[in-house]
Amino acid sequence: MRAQFRTRIRIVLASVVFIALLIVVRLYFVQIVNGEDYAQKAETQYASGGSGLFDRGSIYFTRKDGTLISAATLETGFLVAINPQVLGNSAAAHAAIDAVASSTLLSQSAFAAAAAKKSLVYVEVAHHLSDTQGMTLAAENIPGVEVLRERWRYYPGGDLAAQSIGIVSYGSGDTLTGQTGLEAYYDNVLTRSGDALYKNFFAELFSNIGSMLVNARDAHQGDIITTIEPEVETRLVDDLAAANAQYSSNTTGGIIMVPSTGAIIALGSYPTFDENNLQNIDPSLLVNPLVSHVYEFGSIMKPITMASALTAGVITPQSTYDDTGCITVDTARICNWNYHAYGVIPVQTIIMQSLNVGASWIAEQLGQSKFREYFTKVFGQKTGVDLPNESEALIGNLSKPQQIYYDTASFGEGIAVTPMQMIRALGAVANHGVMVTPHLASGVMLDTGLVRPYDWGTDVPVFSATAARETIVMMDALFDDVLDGGKVRIPTMSVAVKTGTAQLPTPTGTYYNDKFLDSEVAFFPSFDPQFIILLYTVDPKNTIYAADSLTPALVDLVHFLIDYYAVPPDRGVATSTSP
Amino acid sequence: MHKNRLHLPLSPVSLCTGLVAVLGVAYIGLIAVVMSYAALTIEFSQSVRNDESKVATLEAQYLATVAKITDTDYATAGYAKPVAEVFVPAKSVTALR
Repeated sequence: MRAQFRTRIRIVLASVVFIALLIVVRLYFVQIVNGEDYAQKAETQYASGGSGLFDRGSIYFTRKDGTLISAATLETGFLVAINPQVLGNSAAAHAAIDAVASSTLLSQSAFAAAAAKKSLVYVEVAHHLSDTQGMTLAAENIPGVEVLRERWRYYPGGDLAAQSIGIVSYGSGDTLTGQTGLEAYYDNVLTRSGDALYKNFFAELFSNIGSMLVNARDAHQGDIITTIEPEVETRLVDDLAAANAQYSSNTTGGIIMVPSTGAIIALGSYPTFDENNLQNIDPSLLVNPLVSHVYEFGSIMKPITMASALTAGVITPQSTYDDTGCITVDTARICNWNYHAYGVIPVQTIIMQSLNVGASWIAEQLGQSKFREYFTKVFGQKTGVDLPNESEALIGNLSKPQQIYYDTASFGEGIAVTPMQMIRALGAVANHGVMVTPHLASGVMLDTGLVRPYDWGTDVPVFSATAARETIVMMDALFDDVLDGGKVRIPTMSVAVKTGTAQLPTPTGTYYNDKFLDSEVAFFPSFDPQFIILLYTVDPKNTIYAADSLTPALVDLVHFLIDYYAVPPDRGVATSTSP
Repeated sequence: MHKNRLHLPLSPVSLCTGLVAVLGVAYIGLIAVVMSYAALTIEFSQSVRNDESKVATLEAQYLATVAKITDTDYATAGYAKPVAEVFVPAKSVTALR
């Protein structure tokens, strides 16, 4: 019995040793003898597999009914690679691929150069083939030509809100990451590791059981839901492009925001670019001027000056002053746009007729300290908008003792702010004196399917509600009675408006006499605004005033928003007018 | 001096062999399940991505259509401007939508 047992044990032991020896010998051949070949093979598999694994969260527009429309998503198709070691006739192979997918294929000379690199086993020669194209080419079974799955970033809107949606590129690393716009700002939310499905289950189980059970990335990875409304966005960029083309401006931009929440429903600037075709793009277009460029906006600053003075109590809506048409401050001369002396007039006229002398008078009533205090509260910090590379306002002149800097700042010259800072500040006038944080993302849709809304911070009161209302009364009268001679008045909707025309600064610090920045802001219904619109155009030709260059676009947007969102009338009775 | 020895119903070798066999089958089974799971997950994931791709194409068509409508010059298209615009009064039923 015992002898039998010993024999069996020896047989089992011998079997184990034999199998172990087999494995060791096999390992020797795999790792030592043929190690280099396998390494190369693995490298090839990695390269082709890696491109197919590209994964990234989506960015969505939100229609007014809550439907999500992709602003940035993934497209699936095929890429074509060649193995120069196997490829026979390169010209014939190029012709065969060209017949199926000519748009993204390397040129014949570049293809031939790639095919000549016999030390390589994998060279990608064409990308972004559709399913049909990929299947057709794969069916041809050309030796040395591989057709592999590929996924890439795709922007269904093309150039829609391109500078704000942003782009992905390799940058300085070897992985695609967000470089501009929301793609960069929310890169950590949108990035996917892409390896979860391919990890060794048992290795994961024993080495990293914690992360398998509770994955911290799931808590923040997802898709970004923006507040951008695609149809409003389309209308805005169409109007911007039309204004830019009509006046041959350098740049024309605009933002539409909900003043009570800071939700931006449309924004854009022209010229722009197609996000699906970044070849030969002018790099300067990648910069978002709405947050990265600062401008001296001119007279749309006057409502800020007025609201500050009314809040401080240094003037009332009934206050009057003597307008002499021109004044001299610290040896500099300040004049009204039409050099007209209006005499003793109420302060409301400062807004309605856009009087620089009147704005300067208000600045002097406020005093330097209080003027600095209000303007620093409004422009002294970044807006906190969820876009990268936001610039700070240039308000250094308000630290100087000369009164001229305060006088010019009162009508928007000598201080420079970004369009985003400007709409935020004017939004405070619209929003009962309270400043909000402008933002593009309303929340993140987690991979689990849950939507986690973003909290956009606490509101900042800057003006009194009474002062804001009194300022709005003046802006409202401007739209009804002055703008375009009162022709744009809407009988059943109150609209508050202000235009601005500022001379552009020269590189030496003086101002051009023939180059201007036109800007215009409007919000409606005036006393409970649902939308605020800011438009600007830089260096428009053959025109000077914003009332001419931007009013058509502004009025078009006001009517579009009233119709599209069915904004209820806030005044008046049924009226019929000629269009 | 007879020692009482434990008599098992199965010999240790048979027991170990059985255990190894069960573990081996379980291991192979687990691998099969995991591989099938991974393959199915990849297949489903690819299927979802393909569908998303088709949706993206439709979304691009929708946005292009919106852009085309927005860009349409109605005067060129043969439409005339209305002779009058009627503004809905604030007190009307439709105004309170």
